[in-house]
Amino acid sequence: MLNNNSQIEEAVNSRYGPRASRKPRRRLLPFLYLLPSALLLLVFMIIPIGYTFYLSFFNWNLIAPTKEFVGLANYVNVFTDPTNQKVILNTLVYIVLLVILNFILPYFISLIVNFFIGKMKGPYKILFFIPSLFSLVVGAMLFSWILNPVSGPLALFLRDFGMKVPQWTNSGAMAIVVICLITNWKVFGYNFILLLTGLGAVPKNILDAAALDGVPKWRVIWNIVLPLNRGVAIYVFILTIVQGLQYVFTPINVITQGGPYYGSSNLLYHTYLNAFVLYKTGNASALATVTFVIFLILLFIEIKFVEGRHKDAD
Amino acid sequence: MMNFRHGFKRLIGLLSIAGVALLFAGCSKSAATKTTHITYWHVNAETQGGASVNKLVKEFNKTHKHIKVTAKFNPNMYQGLMQNLQSAQASGKVPDIVQVGWAFTNYFSDNFKYMTPTDAAQKFDKSKRAITNNFSTQSLSFAKNAKGKLVGLPYSLSTPILFTNDSMLAKYGIKKSSLGTWEGVQAAAKTIKQKSGNYGLYIQEPADTWAQQAMMLSNGAQIKNAAGKAAFASAQGVKAYQLYQNMVLKDKTAIHTPWAQGMDDFTNGKVAMAFTTVAQASHIKQSVSFKASSQIAPTFKGNKLTVPVGGSMLALTSQDSAKQKAAWTFEKWLYKNDSLLTWDKGTGYLPPTKTALDSPQFKKYLAANPMIKPATEELANAVPWTSFPKNGLDAEQDMIDARDKILTGSNVSQTLKAAQEKINAQQ
Repeated sequence: MLNNNSQIEEAVNSRYGPRASRKPRRRLLPFLYLLPSALLLLVFMIIPIGYTFYLSFFNWNLIAPTKEFVGLANYVNVFTDPTNQKVILNTLVYIVLLVILNFILPYFISLIVNFFIGKMKGPYKILFFIPSLFSLVVGAMLFSWILNPVSGPLALFLRDFGMKVPQWTNSGAMAIVVICLITNWKVFGYNFILLLTGLGAVPKNILDAAALDGVPKWRVIWNIVLPLNRGVAIYVFILTIVQGLQYVFTPINVITQGGPYYGSSNLLYHTYLNAFVLYKTGNASALATVTFVIFLILLFIEIKFVEGRHKDAD
Repeated sequence: MMNFRHGFKRLIGLLSIAGVALLFAGCSKSAATKTTHITYWHVNAETQGGASVNKLVKEFNKTHKHIKVTAKFNPNMYQGLMQNLQSAQASGKVPDIVQVGWAFTNYFSDNFKYMTPTDAAQKFDKSKRAITNNFSTQSLSFAKNAKGKLVGLPYSLSTPILFTNDSMLAKYGIKKSSLGTWEGVQAAAKTIKQKSGNYGLYIQEPADTWAQQAMMLSNGAQIKNAAGKAAFASAQGVKAYQLYQNMVLKDKTAIHTPWAQGMDDFTNGKVAMAFTTVAQASHIKQSVSFKASSQIAPTFKGNKLTVPVGGSMLALTSQDSAKQKAAWTFEKWLYKNDSLLTWDKGTGYLPPTKTALDSPQFKKYLAANPMIKPATEELANAVPWTSFPKNGLDAEQDMIDARDKILTGSNVSQTLKAAQEKINAQQ
């Protein structure tokens, strides 16, 4: 309630922007409002990241009272150790597969559902979304059973047709594909809904105008819809990489434990293995820092690339 | 004026909330002086004996008014428990009694604060031998660290045994008596493969090399020599692994797959034999639709049976004297024959004490569950699970890596030698 002139004045000030007469106390207020989130961010994000960076210069088993300073040795190890090199390469393979399965594929299907299918859009949304409600542990166990090459239902079914399920747990490449498929089962629906919603927001008058001009549908999608839906697409793309690499952790842990011989491991799982199985916090922190930097670079390249194209188009 | 009144009201409100909070805090403090609360960390999921942990804890709490035990399940077996204990120690809030897997004996004793059973007996029972008298010297040796100090008391014992699909063996004319040696197992697996196309053998492959170590030990190999150095890359060790590799890659009669899948393959009747822990007995009994049985672990021709013991010990991690006393009371109660039988029936483990092993109740239980019997017979040939004095967790990982490499085709001798050198460089 505004019950005196000064309060009315303040209300006007706050509504119409800053004035020279504003009191310093008022200027502090926004920071005060931000304080709770900033504190949470500081305690749970910034300090741990800083501490991880600090730990990456030491050898420490998480318990011993002394930490042995080793300089850059842990970083040298990240790039020279053959196991780490294998894990970095696997991570890149994971990224490529995840982008295909969890970004390009749902984008393609959401385009089909939005522009080429008239009916049943609702049921498609629900059907695709259902798996994302299940836990990944359940998914991993379910797929491990279904795809068991010797006694799983798929193997028994294929046997009737004289075919076999390969021993995918013995091959790093095949294990990576299966693990990505499990993640795809979980993530597909969510990404699909996001992309479909984005496509639904493309202004109808532009599409109608293009239809009146007789522009072919694929050109409408390529030249109008995709550029207009870029914001959502970038978001899903980033989510696919950053969240996808975290999501694959569960099936790796449940099914292969990174095996055979680190064949299905990735940077995140290997960091976990070093930190909480072998208790080599130094190595783990160096790996975590490298992963952090790789993510930053990926995001930077991606944004730069897309932003650059955006400016050209303008 | 109004602002002041508003602020005053708020202050009164806050003060009254604080007052009530203090009152409740006071209540809980006064209650705590009466009852000692302790936490027991275990690794038993609901289907792996978790129900018996809860039953035991409930019964103890009912009969002991001044002690309240809370059981906490730790996923991911002993490794998972160690990880949580790491974090607990870092945060300064440790549990009071924990299960420690044998492979972690040295790691645990080097890095955590604990009270030895001998000290606990001395302090609370005024008698050093009251509890240890109940164990055989051999079973106590499982719970000793590299310096020969008793870290905890053996609680769960298990040994690897050979489970067989008797229906399948009978169908293809394989005599069970031929499976006493690994050479016999290899020949039987070949017959199965030729006649049915099914796999002959699965050897468990969890995140440890316990079963593979049993194979090497039963060919007269050592995993660790008297000086505490890795010694498995000997001619005997290489020969044992070579047979395993041949079965997987050359004969294609043994299957190389993660543990859960391998056990599914056996219980679904697609693999004739499974070399795994006795703790799988109840799962196998419940899941198979064929006649299954078990027998003593095979040895290599001309060699004596030697198996590493699996399972865990109980260790006291309490730091507070009252809690230590309560935890010790609880621990002693867990070693009573009745409690041990509840535990062993629920988990499939073998009792660690002489009196429980010889008790008529356990004998009756064995008669009803003959698949467990070979494991109890193996106890006389059991040795402690190798726990390297330094960097033991790394050493176990190096042995897992070697297994992965060998089963995907690496040269056995070179791979074992490399793993041995890597482990010894860290000792």
